[in-house]
Amino acid sequence: MKFRLLSAALLLLLALPSQGTAAPSPETSILRVNITSQGFNFALPWQKQRPSTRRGLGALLPGNRVLVTAELAQDANYIELEQAASGKRITARVEAVDYEINLATIVPDEDAGSFFQGMEPLELDVALKPKAALEVWQFESNGTPVSSSVEFNRVDLGPYFLEDQFFLIFQANGAVQYRSGTFTLPVIHQGKLAGMLVRYNSRDQVSDILPATMVDRFLKDVATPPYEGLPSFGVRMSPTLDPQLRSFLQLDAANGGVLVTDVTPGFSAAVAGVEQGDVILEMNGHKIDARGSYEDPDYGLLGSGHLARGKAQAGDIMKLVLVRHGQRRELEVPLLRKQAQDYLVDPYVFDRQPRYVILGGVLFQELTLPFLQLAGKEWRDRAAFRLVYAQANQDEYLKAGRKKLVFISGVLPAPCTLGYERLAGLIVNQVNGKEITDLASLAEAIKAPRDGIHRIDVVDGPRTIYLDEAQAKQDNAEFLPSRYRITAMENLK
Amino acid sequence: MFLPSLLRPAVLAGFAAVCLPLGASAQDDPADEKTTSLGKQYESIVNVECSALRVDYRTPWNAATPSGGTGTAFLIGPNLFLTNAHVISDASRIVLKKVGDSTPHRARVKFVAHDCDLALLELDPPAPAFLKAVPLSISTEIPKLDTTVKVVGYPIGGERISVTRGVVSRVDYQEFSHSGVDQHLAIQIDAAINPGNSGGPVLQGTKVVGVAFQGYSGDVAQNTGYMIPTPVIRRFLKDVEDGSYDHYGELAIQHYPLLNPAQRKALQLPDNDRGVMLTAVDSTGTCGGILKVGDVLLELDGYPVDSTGSIDIDGEQTEMAEVVERKFVGDSLKLKVWRDRQEQEFEVKLKVFPAYLMQAHQYEKQPEYLVHAGLVFQPLDHELMTAFNLTSLRTRYYYEYYAQDEIYKDLPEVVVLTSILPDAINTWVRDYAGQVVESINGVKIKSLKDAAAALAKPPEGSHVVIQFAGEGRPVALEKGLIAPAHERILRKYGVASDRYLAP
Repeated sequence: MKFRLLSAALLLLLALPSQGTAAPSPETSILRVNITSQGFNFALPWQKQRPSTRRGLGALLPGNRVLVTAELAQDANYIELEQAASGKRITARVEAVDYEINLATIVPDEDAGSFFQGMEPLELDVALKPKAALEVWQFESNGTPVSSSVEFNRVDLGPYFLEDQFFLIFQANGAVQYRSGTFTLPVIHQGKLAGMLVRYNSRDQVSDILPATMVDRFLKDVATPPYEGLPSFGVRMSPTLDPQLRSFLQLDAANGGVLVTDVTPGFSAAVAGVEQGDVILEMNGHKIDARGSYEDPDYGLLGSGHLARGKAQAGDIMKLVLVRHGQRRELEVPLLRKQAQDYLVDPYVFDRQPRYVILGGVLFQELTLPFLQLAGKEWRDRAAFRLVYAQANQDEYLKAGRKKLVFISGVLPAPCTLGYERLAGLIVNQVNGKEITDLASLAEAIKAPRDGIHRIDVVDGPRTIYLDEAQAKQDNAEFLPSRYRITAMENLK
Repeated sequence: MFLPSLLRPAVLAGFAAVCLPLGASAQDDPADEKTTSLGKQYESIVNVECSALRVDYRTPWNAATPSGGTGTAFLIGPNLFLTNAHVISDASRIVLKKVGDSTPHRARVKFVAHDCDLALLELDPPAPAFLKAVPLSISTEIPKLDTTVKVVGYPIGGERISVTRGVVSRVDYQEFSHSGVDQHLAIQIDAAINPGNSGGPVLQGTKVVGVAFQGYSGDVAQNTGYMIPTPVIRRFLKDVEDGSYDHYGELAIQHYPLLNPAQRKALQLPDNDRGVMLTAVDSTGTCGGILKVGDVLLELDGYPVDSTGSIDIDGEQTEMAEVVERKFVGDSLKLKVWRDRQEQEFEVKLKVFPAYLMQAHQYEKQPEYLVHAGLVFQPLDHELMTAFNLTSLRTRYYYEYYAQDEIYKDLPEVVVLTSILPDAINTWVRDYAGQVVESINGVKIKSLKDAAAALAKPPEGSHVVIQFAGEGRPVALEKGLIAPAHERILRKYGVASDRYLAP
């Protein structure tokens, strides 16, 4: 006991002098964040995966909030904040998380007591300019602070966490040595938080930093509920550098402009009337060049995606100047927010159980990207081709009236599913004569079997699957709960 | 999944990598080998040296590249040698050599069946001394499991004839690797068979019970060789009696077992373990317009079909495909199906189903192509898919679902922009390599000939516009720039002819 008292006193002595006076340092302004994650098993969606614990670093912000990347906080089950030097820990919870922008705030579970005493919250530096000297803060495993110097030298758009989503990235050069158990690293400029390091290429010594401006917009959005998030413009664009394409599109040689090659139904651009074949010349007064970039007042040449997404807020109006059939016209596009579940195939699923329905051992799910990614990094080659193709061509299914892509992800051997054990990856068209547009419609359709038989029509394989109503009911009640420990035969939330 | 590979010593120098030590069975009975290696019974078994020409689908305008390999053949009649199709495919010159006589004799292909990997050769001109050997006779029986067989041929490991011994391990349907899409009856044996054994006889006593043709390499499965059994050989020999090979006919249907009681209840079928449910009926195939998806096939040509799709022939449980295997194109087949809660009978005439060849290996075929302003267009097939490693999802969809989704009905040929010969005119087109051409100047493209015709016709506007399937950005080429660029590109890249369109 004596030893503990002594160490507490020691900490107090060390901490006191810095309070409110000295510049922030790793000891005063960053915390270890230990997160035990436990996502759901997308193959067996009634159960969770094995829990795994990761350690990261968070930046202390005013109001005893700790900023981390959403990647670290994904599927968080149990969180501890830890002072690196003393090892003092308190339990905490996720206050807000946005997986697209890859940020989360973590707050103490209950009254933090004296945990934050002597600590110094970081302010944000939202005016960072290239050439700035930055510090990347970490701790040694024994709690000693480590600071690596890097130089901010380039602005670009790049992915934060999710595939195929591009946001503002600050690139910095310089060696950063990874210390044990560090996942996301706060980056500091003159005592202020300049951003969060999301990726480090050790060969080229290049750090990708999620900049403070993005942190700022996230925090402001969190502070004024409801949380709006990033809008979804919903177009695919192609450069118009090809002079023959330009003459075909009746574009004059000097102006830039990008060709709209695809418009996602239901998203901002489609709703406002943007069409495939339009050439976008201006967005919110910024001229778009033939590569699809614009001159940003702060950062120079930048991809136009930033105007429609990273820099925009749901509810904003995007003013477009475009050329359609050789005619110049203006269009106002109200920017709408689309959540992961608004897509035919959810691009990500975190913090919630996948939706499923089990009927006699046949497992129905709505297709999600994480499900496809169960096949590994090469999922495009290894997952069921029909499903991969559907993921890449979602518009075709949306236009056909589907909201979600319901499919049989697998079959659990049970008395009811004799002969069907090997079925997997089958897209469901109808159940008991009803069109299936999402799992809710399937849950409804299985309430009405005819003549004691469920009839399930699928795209490939046996084309029609028949299940005995009474056997399915009995297996749902007895066999499946006891053999496979399935506690609920559906999750539609 | 590992598929067995052909025993093809395609290029003699290149086979060190797959050269396996001969199995123990080769040394089982050294005395026997000594007495028989020069014996009369092996006189009819000859070495085939084949010089082949392999076309490069990436430069289809170039002459083919010479390659070659060796295999085995055996005399089965007057100036008639049986061997594997894969031993002599794409041949430019074939010579046969014999034990104790190193004179090479020219031979030519009389018939070739790529779908069952068999071919007949004849000496041209005939050499009476070479042909005086007694032809081997082909057994009428399928050898029984666990009976001894002998494999004779000219595999790697030496120049002279080789004999190995083993037993019949399994009789089952196998994929024939030569075409990559056909399945026939095959017999697995554990005698060592190696590259060069291909086309050689597998003997039981003095009778041929099979032709050695494929096996697994030692790192996949041990002592697993396959031979083409006599029913397949005899069918081939009968098919060519009329002077041409007609290929196998196909029912062109797919089925699913009826093992679940609910299936029988729903279809109101008696509970008698009979019938399989049809899950696909190719509309242009043998049963198109006659059978329907959802029909239950109860009987095939009088043989009752059980609920897994097996039938009983002469007391042997076998796949129902065996009924079709024994028939020839044009033969009739009786079908009994369960539809609308009653039995119905139909008769169909067996047809070939060419759509499934999309995924088959191609041989003896000059690749079709069309070059226009440096854009190279070619029809999609298996060789194209592998030569260009086409990975675009949409192109893969056309390839993999060509037969299943009946894409062939709309697109007899799927035309792909396979590559671009770089030039100022097409410098912005390169990203579109590997995509399927949908239309040219608004005309839908259903074959390479369509593409040639559409490109030959001057466009209405100022540009030739090529639209790719699923791509929002068209390729536009200025009319006036095309002709000079076309000439320039052909000259610069040494393309002697801008097209080959099969007649």
